[in-house]
Amino acid sequence: MDETEAALIRRCQAGDKDAFGGIVRQYAGRATGAAYLMLGCREEALDASQEAFVRAWRHIRRFDPATHFYSWYARILRNECISRLRRRARRRTVALVGDPPSDGDGKDPALLMERTEWDRRVWRAILSLPAPQREIIVLAHFQGLSYKEMAQTIEIPIGTVMSRLHVARQALRTLLAGEE
Amino acid sequence: MTCERFRERISAYVDGELEAEERARFQEHLETCGSCRRELADIAALKEELDMMTFEEPSDAALHRYWCSVYNRLERGIGWILFSFGAIVLLCYGGFKLVEEVVRDPAISWIVRAGVVGLVFGLVILFVSLARERLTVSKTDRYSREVKR
Repeated sequence: MDETEAALIRRCQAGDKDAFGGIVRQYAGRATGAAYLMLGCREEALDASQEAFVRAWRHIRRFDPATHFYSWYARILRNECISRLRRRARRRTVALVGDPPSDGDGKDPALLMERTEWDRRVWRAILSLPAPQREIIVLAHFQGLSYKEMAQTIEIPIGTVMSRLHVARQALRTLLAGEE
Repeated sequence: MTCERFRERISAYVDGELEAEERARFQEHLETCGSCRRELADIAALKEELDMMTFEEPSDAALHRYWCSVYNRLERGIGWILFSFGAIVLLCYGGFKLVEEVVRDPAISWIVRAGVVGLVFGLVILFVSLARERLTVSKTDRYSREVKR
C-alpha cells in the first residue's frame, strides 16, 4: 500500500471522516463496477458498494494499515453482494449457485470505460457466466486481487483459485468464440 | 505431472503466480506440448483484453453524490445508536416508575398490578434475549474474519 493511503487510513482510524471520503472517492468507481458485475443491476450495485463502505468504516479501527485497503474492502463487498443475491433468491425462490444475475437491469454496464461492440460482448459474456466463475473473473480482472487475496476472499485453497479461474477463462473464451 | 494437470496451471503461469520450480517444469512441458501452447496463447490474449477493460471513472459530481450518500449513512448509524440508547434508558426508567406506582397504589386492583408487572418484566426478558442473540451473532458474524486482519 502506498504511503498516502496508509496515512489516510490512520486518520480514518482516528475518526476523521474526511479522510475516509478520500478513500471512498478513490475506489468508488471500481467498487460499483465490480458490484454491478456481481449483481447485474446498477442501482443495487451503487447501494451495495456504499453499504460495504459503511461497514468498512464501522470496523476501520481493526484494519491493519500495513495491508492493502481495497483487498480488505473487496471481501466486505463480496459478502454484501452475496447477502443480496441470497435475499433475492429467497424472495423469488430460485437457486442462487450457478445462476447469472438474471433480474438485473439487463443493460450494458454504463460504468464501462470504452463501449465498443466487442466490449459489450465481453460484458454480456461475463454476466452470463455461472456465479462462481463470474465472481472469480471479477476478483481477478476488475478488483485486481492476487491469488492469495482471492483465496482469502472466497475462502478456498489457492489451488482451487488456480483451477477455478482457468475454467472460468475457458468458459468465457468459449462464449466469446460462439458469438464471433 | 499429466498434461491435464499442467493445463490447469496455464492461468497461473500467465498471471505469474507459479513458484519458480513449478514455472520451470511448466516451461519444459510447453516445449513438448503444442496443445498447451495454443491454450496458453488463447488465455494470454483473453487476459490482455480483459485487463484493458476498465470501469468508467465517475465524474467529480457523481463522486460527490456517492460520498454524500455514504456520509449520510454513517451519520444515520450514529443517530440510531444515540436514539436506541436514549429510548432504552427512558423505557427502563419509565417501566421502573410504573411498577413502583402500581405496586404501591392500593386503589389499583391486583389484576391490573399483575398485568403491568408481567408487561414490564416480559419486555426486560425480551430485551435481554435480543441483546444476547446480537452478541452471539456478532461473534460468529461473517464479516468478523475480514475485520480482524
